[in-house]
Amino acid sequence: MMELDLFREYGPALLRGLGVTIFCWIVGTACAMALGFLLALVQRGVSARPVQWILRAYVEFIRGTPFLVQLFVLYYGAPMLGLRLDAMPAGLLGLTIYGSPYFAEIFRAGLNAVPLGQIEAARAMGFAPATILRRIMIPVMLVSALPALVNFSIILTKETVILSMITVPEIMFETQTMMAETFAFAESTLVLALFFWVFVETISRIGRRLERRATHYLLDRS
Amino acid sequence: MTLRTTLRAALFGATALALTATGALADMLEDIKAAGKITTATEMHYAPFDMLENGEYAGFNKELFDEVAKELGVTAEYQDLPWASILPGLEVSKFDFVNAPVTITPERMERYAFTLPISDATVALVQRKGGDLTKPEDIKGKTVGIQKGTAQEKQLEAYSDTLGGFTIRGYGSPDEAYADLAAGRLDAVAGSAPNLAYLAKTRPDVFETIQPPFGEPKYFAWVTRKEGSESLIEAMNAALIKIQDDGRLAAMQEKWFGTATALPKEMPAM
Amino acid sequence: MFSFQTIIDNLPVLAASARYTLLISGAGCLLGLIFGALICVAAVSRAPAARAFAGLYVSFFRGVPLLIQLLLAFYLLPLVGVNVPALAAAIFTVGLCAAAYISEILRGALNAIPRGQAEAAIAVGLSPRHIWTRILLPQALKISMPALVNELILLVKASSLVTVVGIVEITRMSQAIASATYRPLEIYLTAAFLYLAINLVIAALGRNLERRLAW
Repeated sequence: MMELDLFREYGPALLRGLGVTIFCWIVGTACAMALGFLLALVQRGVSARPVQWILRAYVEFIRGTPFLVQLFVLYYGAPMLGLRLDAMPAGLLGLTIYGSPYFAEIFRAGLNAVPLGQIEAARAMGFAPATILRRIMIPVMLVSALPALVNFSIILTKETVILSMITVPEIMFETQTMMAETFAFAESTLVLALFFWVFVETISRIGRRLERRATHYLLDRS
Repeated sequence: MTLRTTLRAALFGATALALTATGALADMLEDIKAAGKITTATEMHYAPFDMLENGEYAGFNKELFDEVAKELGVTAEYQDLPWASILPGLEVSKFDFVNAPVTITPERMERYAFTLPISDATVALVQRKGGDLTKPEDIKGKTVGIQKGTAQEKQLEAYSDTLGGFTIRGYGSPDEAYADLAAGRLDAVAGSAPNLAYLAKTRPDVFETIQPPFGEPKYFAWVTRKEGSESLIEAMNAALIKIQDDGRLAAMQEKWFGTATALPKEMPAM
Repeated sequence: MFSFQTIIDNLPVLAASARYTLLISGAGCLLGLIFGALICVAAVSRAPAARAFAGLYVSFFRGVPLLIQLLLAFYLLPLVGVNVPALAAAIFTVGLCAAAYISEILRGALNAIPRGQAEAAIAVGLSPRHIWTRILLPQALKISMPALVNELILLVKASSLVTVVGIVEITRMSQAIASATYRPLEIYLTAAFLYLAINLVIAALGRNLERRLAW
């Protein structure tokens, strides 16, 4: 009975929190992937030394510092530079920045794995560079990069709980709000842990299945 | 077994564990006196109650708690903990006492043992120095900042309903809200009166408080577990009254809040 | 507006708090290595129960966010009678979590060791314990050294999460200073560079170690 009442009272907030978690994960991952891809292209295509240095410094800085501290800089520090973001946009931007160097590395390795012969052949046949990128490099690159892409996207699911520490109303934040009112600390945390365990296992399985399917599709096309 | 029943089983398992863990408990006061120390936790980012000065814990709470510990004949040990972990930590006996300023609420009274009030906690407003608000009602239609997830936030929402509407913007910490107020992005920030008084006192060229506080009277107090704490609470309350009667409290209030106010010597009715 | 003075004033206190960051990540990594080796042995064992346990272990500790694991250790363990100090609980939790990742690293490395070696060891009559401690694990350790150094760097970053159980390491200290000085940008950037410096040193030491191991 008590459980039902609890669920009636906090269920909507928890479901909303779950929605925010999934939203942040999907949007954050997509943006991080996009930025990572851009970084990989710049790293490959622009050989000017200063650009390479800046890129290198960015990657080292993001990979060498904790996500939590990056979020604090963005959310609490950036307003001093005139960049005032609400918690959610700050969290999404944080995820994008945090994930980008890892995705860049995955894309870089993938692009390097595209046989040079294929690119040269396409060039010889008179394909435009954009067409070569879209029709040859990206599909071939994706085949080798997919497992790592799926893997890192799954790692990012878990990072979304850290957004609670800058008050993004995701599932962890909503659970803590509930705990502050119900005092059911241990039980709620245990349920949250079990939830994440099941959630991450499930999306890993879906991810691996999608990965196999996408690989078949890409291999068929190229 | 479906997911729901699994979760339910886990939930009941945890509850059962919680029940078995709370067996017979000794008297906390005796234990503390035997150990010669009382262990506490607070979030050390809540000026002027709790703060770090050059890495050392300082603030009204520390000074007052030190005095109370002295009256009990023990030393106080302090620990910094994020607010979200403080009540859970208390429940599982990570420390003896929460010396953070906890707002006294009926729900918390039911679950925890409170000392007498250690400070006023009524919600008030602060604005930029020379701002055009003269009384709390003037914020109608304006934008007010508040720390998210606090008891004060709820009061502010209720106040907005009675006044007929103003915009509330939530922040992760009060500091950000103050920064936005200083930068002109907010018209006022709501918080408990002592915190705001301290802010206006330490940065008088930037902020000024709006009198009087608008919220219903509230108090901060320290809390501990209910089991076995009766004599400890009694001893601490006696110490608090003594410290108030001999003028030590007023001196500390002057030092940290800028003004001295008498505190109730009996538990205020909720 | 950027105040270098704030950074200079607070750097000593902030740097001093790095000892907890180093302690938690270092001890956590060591513990992770020990548990990780055990989990790895279980994962490749012939006993189905051991394999199942290793599978569950890895799946749990990699599936649940470390932040929640830390809170579980803090809220739940005392209820089952394990009420250890916060620092010990933090190191233990970080170590258990690291073990899941390290066991997978070691398992990958084992695959790189020629099968013939273990078979030869069995043939000359070495006990299973000796095969593991003298032949397989030392080699797996050497092969996986780059991945282990990387894991240590991940742990240095992950240690920022122990703020939730009340250990005043770099991140928690920077929160306190930011709140006291009203200078979040300077303080959090300083904290970030402190982490970066620690990790660059670890990476350099790791490369050095690799060179020496590659005899």
